[in-house]
Amino acid sequence: MASFSINNTYAGKHVLLTGSSGFLGKVWLGMMLERVPEIGRIYLLIRKKGLRPASDRFDKMVNSSFVFKNLHEQYGEKLSAYISQRVEVVEGDVTQPNFGLNDADAARLRDKLDLIVNCAGLVDFNPDLRDALATNVNGGVYAAEFTEQCKNAALLHVSTCYVVGNRSGLIEEEVDPNYCPSGAAFDPEAEWVGMQERIEKTIAEMESVAGEEALKAEVLAKIRDRGLDATNATLIRNMTHRERQQRVKSKLSAVGEKRALELGWPNTYTYTKSLSEALMVKRHGHIRHTLFRPAIVESSLSYPFPGWNEGFNTCGPLTYLLQTWFRHIPGKQGNPFDVIPVDLVCNGITIAGAALLRGEQKPVYQCGTSDKNVLTIDRACDLVGLSHRRHLRKTGTSAFERIVLSRMDAKTVEGDYLLSVPNLRSLGRGLGSAFRSLADKVPSGASKTMNQWANATEDADKQLDVVEKMLDLFRPFIHDNRFVFECKALNSHEIEEKAFHFNPEAIDWRDYWLNVHIPGLRRWSYPAIEGKRVETYTPQHKFSFTKAHVAAPPVAVKREVG
Amino acid sequence: MDKTTTVAFVRVEGTLVDRGVLSASAYIASNGQGLSERLLRLGQVALTAPVYTFLGQNDRVLANRLAYVAARGMSDDRLAVLGEEYFEDILKERILDSGLDLLKKAKKAGHQIVLLSEGLHEFVGPLATYLADHLKMPELVGALVCNQMEYRDHEASGRLLDPVIGGHDSGRWATKYAVEHDVDLAQSVAYGAHGPDMLLLATVGKPCAVNPDFTLRRAASQADWPIMEYTL
Repeated sequence: MASFSINNTYAGKHVLLTGSSGFLGKVWLGMMLERVPEIGRIYLLIRKKGLRPASDRFDKMVNSSFVFKNLHEQYGEKLSAYISQRVEVVEGDVTQPNFGLNDADAARLRDKLDLIVNCAGLVDFNPDLRDALATNVNGGVYAAEFTEQCKNAALLHVSTCYVVGNRSGLIEEEVDPNYCPSGAAFDPEAEWVGMQERIEKTIAEMESVAGEEALKAEVLAKIRDRGLDATNATLIRNMTHRERQQRVKSKLSAVGEKRALELGWPNTYTYTKSLSEALMVKRHGHIRHTLFRPAIVESSLSYPFPGWNEGFNTCGPLTYLLQTWFRHIPGKQGNPFDVIPVDLVCNGITIAGAALLRGEQKPVYQCGTSDKNVLTIDRACDLVGLSHRRHLRKTGTSAFERIVLSRMDAKTVEGDYLLSVPNLRSLGRGLGSAFRSLADKVPSGASKTMNQWANATEDADKQLDVVEKMLDLFRPFIHDNRFVFECKALNSHEIEEKAFHFNPEAIDWRDYWLNVHIPGLRRWSYPAIEGKRVETYTPQHKFSFTKAHVAAPPVAVKREVG
Repeated sequence: MDKTTTVAFVRVEGTLVDRGVLSASAYIASNGQGLSERLLRLGQVALTAPVYTFLGQNDRVLANRLAYVAARGMSDDRLAVLGEEYFEDILKERILDSGLDLLKKAKKAGHQIVLLSEGLHEFVGPLATYLADHLKMPELVGALVCNQMEYRDHEASGRLLDPVIGGHDSGRWATKYAVEHDVDLAQSVAYGAHGPDMLLLATVGKPCAVNPDFTLRRAASQADWPIMEYTL
């Protein structure tokens, strides 16, 4: 196949990006603005939040995210003009037909767009099923519908490698709209309708007269327990409303999870992403499109700078756990842990998008490392432990941290390990009840101590419950299945610019985990896990989108690209 | 054509640092993955220690092979991190000032410096980098010749790759190095500290025994080689 240039392919092209406020979308946007300055225009579909217009949200994003630091430093006060000449924010919502655009914007975009990159997705493993269906399924279907209405647009839909569900072995780059990991007969149309009906039924059940009565009684009991005024009608109404919402949410999360597990997907996220792929292919398979499936997207290798990360990704909570006293995670030795740096994923999206623009696209692009440069879960775990060891030895706040905790190694273990969480929990519960029963039989001084110990074991049990639930969520990816994702399609295109090459085989995993990824998580993700404020960027010159900038003379590109 | 390159072969253990192979293998053992693994490995090193001392004068290659069995089954990642730590925590404090003076003098005299070490590359590599930084001589170490662990799928097999550094072969190795790099051995110097370094010292025109053990001291006296003594 002949080689092609990313810059030439995107020059003058109009691209609509959804999910630009997410981890992946933001990095891709920054990369395109920096490395593909000749791009026609990037339209960002952004939802307004309350009274806050979409454009304000974009301004805030550019003025606070480190992704745009390079651009700020390159263009300084000219950045507003530089971006305004290349980006347009359109207010809309992926969960609505026609992206929730107003008629004028919709007509304009249908006319102009060359490519739609649908990066929007709800990546929580088991969210409220309503939210998962709205963003992951409806969002994908509406993106395909809108693409079909466009004059000349193609669709790149970002999905996940894990749509394959619970399966082991080599996962090929193919799509089957009737695929179901459990092997059950699967009709995506019927499934979609069925799930919507299930949502309605669940809500109706929970809001039935009997359900409401029971809820009210519980709320009243709670109010009395807290010593509040049980005759205050406003308080009762508000608390009942909040409680109802919470219960519906939690029930629908359980409904989604149950359905996913029944059909062989590990969670609602992968199930809804797969359903979205199936519906898109079944209904709109004839449009120019491609499915882009990254594996576990993690800290950047080099763009915008080594170690950039944001929010809670798969590795964040898991690796955080391994720096506490808890050092054992369930994992099967030798199972690949398919982590891929976000900037390599962005390169992949750029390549697949260019292939679409040229009409040379493959139906599916998988973007991972397990077939070319495998990292096993046990190696990853060892590297995490070593990174924490290094960190604690140097910066531990106490001698205990520097000498003892730093030397407690992270290890993968089988589920039935002696010190596994279920075993620890049953030991804790046993001790707790022993302390309680002893408390009644010993003198009052000792009884107080016994009760304190019993309370401590109960607190520990609550913490272990959180750990157990979290490990259960990750178990299919690190223990139960052995995924090897084929990633041939991205390398089937020869790209002229080195900066856009997709080369996972070049990753030095030791260097990545010890010097890039874990330090990145420590700076960008762990504070969020600890409920602390995450560092934000403050530019010297604030970016502000204005129409005047659009008409101003073009800002010269600061450096050679590609 | 006249040979113009001259080399200073410097045995690291005993000449530059006063820590040897057993110290490194004990460090490796005590930092295995998990408590039970550490205890097992430490037990192994404790059993190896007397054998190492006995074999050290006779078959240093076998002694070194035995000492590094303690690393068997460890990941290359762990050994790399432990190597850095070992240098920072232990080796750095055990660098001999007079050894540094030897290096500076050798460099000033125009010799290319070749460090010979029985240590694993992961453990001695940081030392070579540090010496160059510390003495502000980026080109200080012309070559670092040390032992290499064999890895299979990122896991140490516990076997050292050939040639194992530390035995009597050092002399043969130096001769080969001289041929390959066009070195004038007659004008080269060598600093050794152990009995098995005898052949290395005998290969060059200007040998010197530094803090020699019993065997090397006797040989140096017989051969009339200069002897240097220094401590930390």
